[in-house]
Amino acid sequence: MADSGTLLAFKAGRAFRREGTNFVDPSPAKGAILLRREDDLLHLMWKNRTSNEVEEDLILFPSDATFLKVSQAPGRVYVLKFSSSNQRHFFWMQDASSVRDEEFVNNVNGFLMDPDYEASWGSSSQPSTSTSTAGASQSSAPSNFQATPEQLAQLQQLLTSAVGSGAAPPSNVSLNNILTPANITPLFTSHPDLIPTLFPHLPPDLPMPPSPEVLQRIISSPQFRSAVSSFDQALRTGLLGGLVRGLGLPEEAGTGIEPFLRAIQSQAESERGEDTMDTD
Amino acid sequence: MSGDDDSNGWQLTESDPGVFSELLKTLGVPLIVDDLYSLDSESLASLQPLHALIFLFKWVSTSSDSMSGNYDPEFPGFFAHQVVNNACATLAVLNALGNIPALKSGSQLTQLLEFTNGMDPQTRGLVITSSDWLREAHNSLSPPSAISLDGLGLPKQTEDAYHFVVYLPFMGFLYELDGLKPHAVSHGSYNETGEGWLSRAREVIENRIATYPPGALDFSLLALREDPLPLIQAELAELQAAGKQAEAADLVVKLESETSKRNRWNFENSLRRHNHVGLVHSLLVALAKAGKLESAKERAKGIMKERVSKAKSKGEAMDES
Repeated sequence: MADSGTLLAFKAGRAFRREGTNFVDPSPAKGAILLRREDDLLHLMWKNRTSNEVEEDLILFPSDATFLKVSQAPGRVYVLKFSSSNQRHFFWMQDASSVRDEEFVNNVNGFLMDPDYEASWGSSSQPSTSTSTAGASQSSAPSNFQATPEQLAQLQQLLTSAVGSGAAPPSNVSLNNILTPANITPLFTSHPDLIPTLFPHLPPDLPMPPSPEVLQRIISSPQFRSAVSSFDQALRTGLLGGLVRGLGLPEEAGTGIEPFLRAIQSQAESERGEDTMDTD
Repeated sequence: MSGDDDSNGWQLTESDPGVFSELLKTLGVPLIVDDLYSLDSESLASLQPLHALIFLFKWVSTSSDSMSGNYDPEFPGFFAHQVVNNACATLAVLNALGNIPALKSGSQLTQLLEFTNGMDPQTRGLVITSSDWLREAHNSLSPPSAISLDGLGLPKQTEDAYHFVVYLPFMGFLYELDGLKPHAVSHGSYNETGEGWLSRAREVIENRIATYPPGALDFSLLALREDPLPLIQAELAELQAAGKQAEAADLVVKLESETSKRNRWNFENSLRRHNHVGLVHSLLVALAKAGKLESAKERAKGIMKERVSKAKSKGEAMDES
């Protein structure tokens, strides 16, 4: 089926980074990745299987790029990452079966490292993992692809910066818009017994004793609002699993704004069950 | 230009008089920094004894900042280069403090200033920047980095860096100390009578501001001055002892105003040092317990929607132009 210039081909779709975020959205278009050698240059192309048009044609120099699984993202998402630039191209496997994923990826990387690579097909079902581990990475390195320490470091960096660890879909709720004086102030009158629960979390070196008035001042202060923004941003990376455990929340609560708020709701409900005070 | 990689552990601080004054306290120096809203004689007189003026502005790349004054490579006073961007505020303070005669200061600062005696500006800058205790004092007023947001690849919250320039008198001449310039800049001598160096400083600063089109320069002025609090308190005690009620009453007003300003500074500084994550969490839990989290969420969604559609229509309007 393939002509002499095509080294390999497999079904894959593309995914694109959402502007200004760390999220990547898969595009549903049916496509294929083709590796071709033309004029002594290695091309990675993406072809739209519906229109039969080549919509992406990347020229790759030896060892300039690697094709890595984004293990922190759900599904079979891969990224083509360049060492010579910040370019990143995301793809997702479209073959219904994932059985051959690794084989394709191994061979892609083989060619990316060395254009004279000889593809190997029908590899054993048990992949041998690379001897060095890349921290949080759970992907098993291709059996005939020796990742250099530098590449493993790049993988680590990629995983923490490209897509958050199973980050939740982006939320259009900003914590700054929830923790407004307009929302908090009514609590002082409607649920005065909740206010002292906040006092232990105020700065210990406040020049005045804690009180509802002080709380109000703090919530409206630029320092607090800036802290809320920072926390909101951090939560959106999906990487706060460890931090939220310190708040008595499950790790899942650290994957995004919505999961965090849901976990808070549960926490409040279970604590309310323990509280001896009457609820309205 | 967040200076993230070459920050050498120096965090970006707010350029707020409360932050500066707290730093001075930590350094054991009995001076404070106040906002200066005007360069007129009355405003300046009310802040006496005044040791230096600090001019801060957002760095404008289309700098029409033509230089006035002359470089003085033989400047005998204290001048250090800015070698780390984030340290700019503290560096400016040191460039001022290092030239105040008979300055009272804590032992660490005294030793640091003595140690750098005779060094060239670049070396001085490096020595200052590598001073651990100074860096810790400087960092103590930014949000705690232990909030573990480091390493998450977040875009640095860009508070655009201000640039700081110090104006002060030294041995009969008005000097401009700018850590990004190779040498101290002399603006000549001044008349010792009347306002003294301040009138020359006013001239130089106003000329500088005038080189920019109106509104193009985002700037502020700060005054480095003697801490008035102990003086007011002492004078008040004297007047009250002498039974001079009317004058005492005036001073009481002054004292109250100064004290409330310090309370505000202390309040804001305690917020700056604090890790607010626990408070954010417990506020949300409190909202949830009160059954109000859901409605707050819905309202927040509405706000976001409105903002997006406003931005969209603005964008469309701009496209049409």
